Amino acid sequence: MKGPFESKALVACLVIPALSVMVFAMLIPLGFSIYYSLTDWSGFGVYRFIGLENYREILMDDAVFWRALWNTLLLMLVTILIQNPIAFALAAVLTHVSKRLSKVLRTIYFVPAVLSLVIIAKMWVSIFNPTYGVLNKALVAVGLQSLAVSWLSNPHTAIWAVIFIIVWQGFGWAMLFYYAGLMTVPKDLEEAARVDGAGWFATYAYIIVPYLYPVIGAVVIIDVISSMKQMELILLSTAGGPGQLTQFLGVYLYQKAFAAGEYGYGNALSVLFVAISIGLTLLARRAMPAAAT
Amino acid sequence: MKLRTWLLHSLLVLPSLALSADKVTVKMGDNLPDRTNGWGAVVETINAEFKAANPGVDIVTESYPDQPYQEKIKIYATAKQLPDVFKYWSFSTLLKPMVDGSFVVPLDQASFAKYGYLPGALESNVYNGKLYGIPVSADLWVVYYNKKLFKDAGIDKLPATLEEMVALAPKFKAKGIIPMTTDGKDAWPLAITFDQLVWRLSGDATLPRQALARKIKFTDPVFVKAATLLQGMVRAGMFQEDLGVSDYGASRNLFGQGKAAMYLMGSWELGLATDASFSEGFRANVDVFKFPTVASGKGKTDDLFAWYGGNYVVSAASKNAALGVKYLEFYAKRFPAIAWEKQATFPAQTVAARPNDSPVAKSLLRIAAEAKATSGTAALDLSTSAFKEDIQNAIRELSSLLVTPEEFTAKVDAAAAKAARKQ
Amino acid sequence: MPHANPTYRLQRQALKLALYLTLFLVAVMQLFPLIWVASYSLQKSGDLFGGELLRLPLPPQWDNYVRAFRDGKVLQYSLNSLFVVSVSTALSTALAFCLAYAITRLQWRLRGVALGAITLGMVLPIHTTLLPNFIWFGYFGLIDTHLALIITYTAFTLPFNTLVYMGHFANLPRAIEEAALMDGASWPRLLWSVVMPMSVPATVTVGVMTFLGNWNEFIMANTFLSTDDKRTLPFSIIRFQGQYSSDYAVQFACMVLVALPALALYFAFSNRIMEGATAGAVKG
Repeated sequence: MKGPFESKALVACLVIPALSVMVFAMLIPLGFSIYYSLTDWSGFGVYRFIGLENYREILMDDAVFWRALWNTLLLMLVTILIQNPIAFALAAVLTHVSKRLSKVLRTIYFVPAVLSLVIIAKMWVSIFNPTYGVLNKALVAVGLQSLAVSWLSNPHTAIWAVIFIIVWQGFGWAMLFYYAGLMTVPKDLEEAARVDGAGWFATYAYIIVPYLYPVIGAVVIIDVISSMKQMELILLSTAGGPGQLTQFLGVYLYQKAFAAGEYGYGNALSVLFVAISIGLTLLARRAMPAAAT
Repeated sequence: MKLRTWLLHSLLVLPSLALSADKVTVKMGDNLPDRTNGWGAVVETINAEFKAANPGVDIVTESYPDQPYQEKIKIYATAKQLPDVFKYWSFSTLLKPMVDGSFVVPLDQASFAKYGYLPGALESNVYNGKLYGIPVSADLWVVYYNKKLFKDAGIDKLPATLEEMVALAPKFKAKGIIPMTTDGKDAWPLAITFDQLVWRLSGDATLPRQALARKIKFTDPVFVKAATLLQGMVRAGMFQEDLGVSDYGASRNLFGQGKAAMYLMGSWELGLATDASFSEGFRANVDVFKFPTVASGKGKTDDLFAWYGGNYVVSAASKNAALGVKYLEFYAKRFPAIAWEKQATFPAQTVAARPNDSPVAKSLLRIAAEAKATSGTAALDLSTSAFKEDIQNAIRELSSLLVTPEEFTAKVDAAAAKAARKQ
Repeated sequence: MPHANPTYRLQRQALKLALYLTLFLVAVMQLFPLIWVASYSLQKSGDLFGGELLRLPLPPQWDNYVRAFRDGKVLQYSLNSLFVVSVSTALSTALAFCLAYAITRLQWRLRGVALGAITLGMVLPIHTTLLPNFIWFGYFGLIDTHLALIITYTAFTLPFNTLVYMGHFANLPRAIEEAALMDGASWPRLLWSVVMPMSVPATVTVGVMTFLGNWNEFIMANTFLSTDDKRTLPFSIIRFQGQYSSDYAVQFACMVLVALPALALYFAFSNRIMEGATAGAVKG
């Protein structure tokens, strides 16, 4: 339909303000970032052009980069394969309890998502503290002394403790989206399935879940992006330690750029980070064709 | 008539002349967010005195905790927005890039020499033959301890050697006391301790420096032995269980709340004895002893691991550079007395002992006086920032028992080689 | 359930019980950390090292909150946060609304480019842009201004908000707009009086989510602001890192104070957030 829906002036009015803000605060710095990634700048002072040397070093020589990438992917898998099903199941249960109880519980479940990451990190560091943290106190109280380890600094448990904190915080969002989605499932679908003699499991598996593919797809894509971007929670709890076992890409690039004075290197990590994120996002979209975004 | 008019006019003009005399604002920066206690309070006192002595001058200070402060200063340097006068460090990882980039003003060493600096203090701030900052604190590496907890564990003698100290660990643990705490998350305390152990073993404080200059290697036996001793301390259960994630505040807290018998830290913590957030019982029982020798080593007990870390510098781009230098001279004059009176930190200048000094303060003065040799800055701060990050990461791996001492020294050596190439 | 089999009924009762227990346990897990922090915020710091799991704060040390409020400069920082976050949220919502409408309803050549920019914007980490922005904004004299934060907060929340609106507009039938246009309505009137009222759920969702996200943001606030008077609320907690690192109780009190506004806002709007989430997530 030609005419009003193609007015160039209208498009300009609607689009230019938004895009200019994004260009100003996001794309131009990205350009700077790409530029600096080709240098050995330390963050202040003089620097030289070294071309793709940073990239070569990251991909060939940097074991920490691969560990960070691995941890990020691990987080993604745990989020998609563990957090999501649990969130979905709980959301499903919530649709079957009384409206009042459902409202109360939903409100409670979403609280962690509302808190500042600084608070959440400091909270869990205190809880996981081996001497006075409540987790170990509880374990000792029920006689499970041997399990009362130093969760965030023990090489075996550290990464899982960190992943747990991140998943705990994001749980509310997943549950929210799934609950909203479940509420849109038409009652007749469920009725029809019941009339046909399907048990609750079959109803969910063959009717409801497929109906909600778009929601699930959207949540998965959001999970991919937010897993890549995780930074504050890790920095404030383990800072990548012990050793580099809980290193994540977002934290690593921050440390290299600001703490280690390897600003050029940090920017190269950033550029790779953006490339990987985009790649994974596109992959996720390809894998979930019905996804909303 | 004309004269009267003229006088009248000048009377009207004079006040506006006075009003138009601009107030000069000096921008300062430091890592002392607490302005009511300790060092921050000392600076506030000095600033008040300076303003009184220099009417028309106002001082505005920006403060952050350590790490964020360092990052902010670097950002400011890049954006050419450094404060006029700011607290910094004399380390080559921090001051040298400032000097190389001409971000700080050279000072007249001769004119500062009259302020009673301890030997080596001013020299630690000299680069390329010029003085770039005034040292403010002397940092001695010592062991704080809680007398009451020692008594509770049935220990009546302070350990003189490392072996004796490590042997105390089971006795403390039997009573549910953590033997020793330190900041394991930030790794630099253990990196300093590593250098200290190298000195205790070899009797030569210059070995790490030589390794950085690539005259010797970090993989030489003495370094491996020191790393083994350090890791041995962790294996013997000397430290708090979550050493790797226990940050500065957490480790200090464990000691201050009476959960740990010893605290491995520097002389700037003499304020422990007057910190109101800890119990009276703790404050009355805290004291300090010298870092022990190693039984098989050549180092002596009076080889004191000490350096001059904190300093003050003036920004070269500042419009108030001359005023900034004047401030530094005032600071040099007033700081030792006020800082010692408030027991805020251990100054880099000589101070007179007072009768009501805390036991910690008295012991620190004694340790400093009895020192026969001092080490200078530890290796981690003598090279590039990248080296510092690398050695800290390696230390964390060593203290988390993730690498062997041999692997540790190999990593440190590789980092040193890389840093040497870049310079 | 026409099953007379008593075993079956028992099974169903047991299942129901198990489900309710699970729901309860999850609620405990979500809330307990906050309760634990709140409880110890009312005690003395040393009490944290005691042996018990949770202690009733008796007598409650309200003084911790007084000190946290005063030394954390909570009031001053809250007002700054309120200003910066309100403005940037309003701006981000308005701009996302416009951009999303243009993308879903209108035909234009650079549409694909805009979509690409949105995707890029969503994955871009803030830390990559910190130092370049500091230098770049410096050219415009924006360092240590609230405007710098307003611009960055708006920019970084635009992509996601645009996507939410896009989902919403995709679900909205064009018929009403087409009718209004045929009745001779001008574009501004159409958008303001027709489309906006129909987009209230999405707007509330976008608005509240953006507000909450920006309210808690601290890395950019920390980098771009230097004058103490201008700082935002998350900095309260950072203030306590150096100074009160020994005083856990006051730190916890500060954390509770910082969390309260976000929690209050959330509880006030929890219904609407639920409604709006439907608009964005379901059926693109």
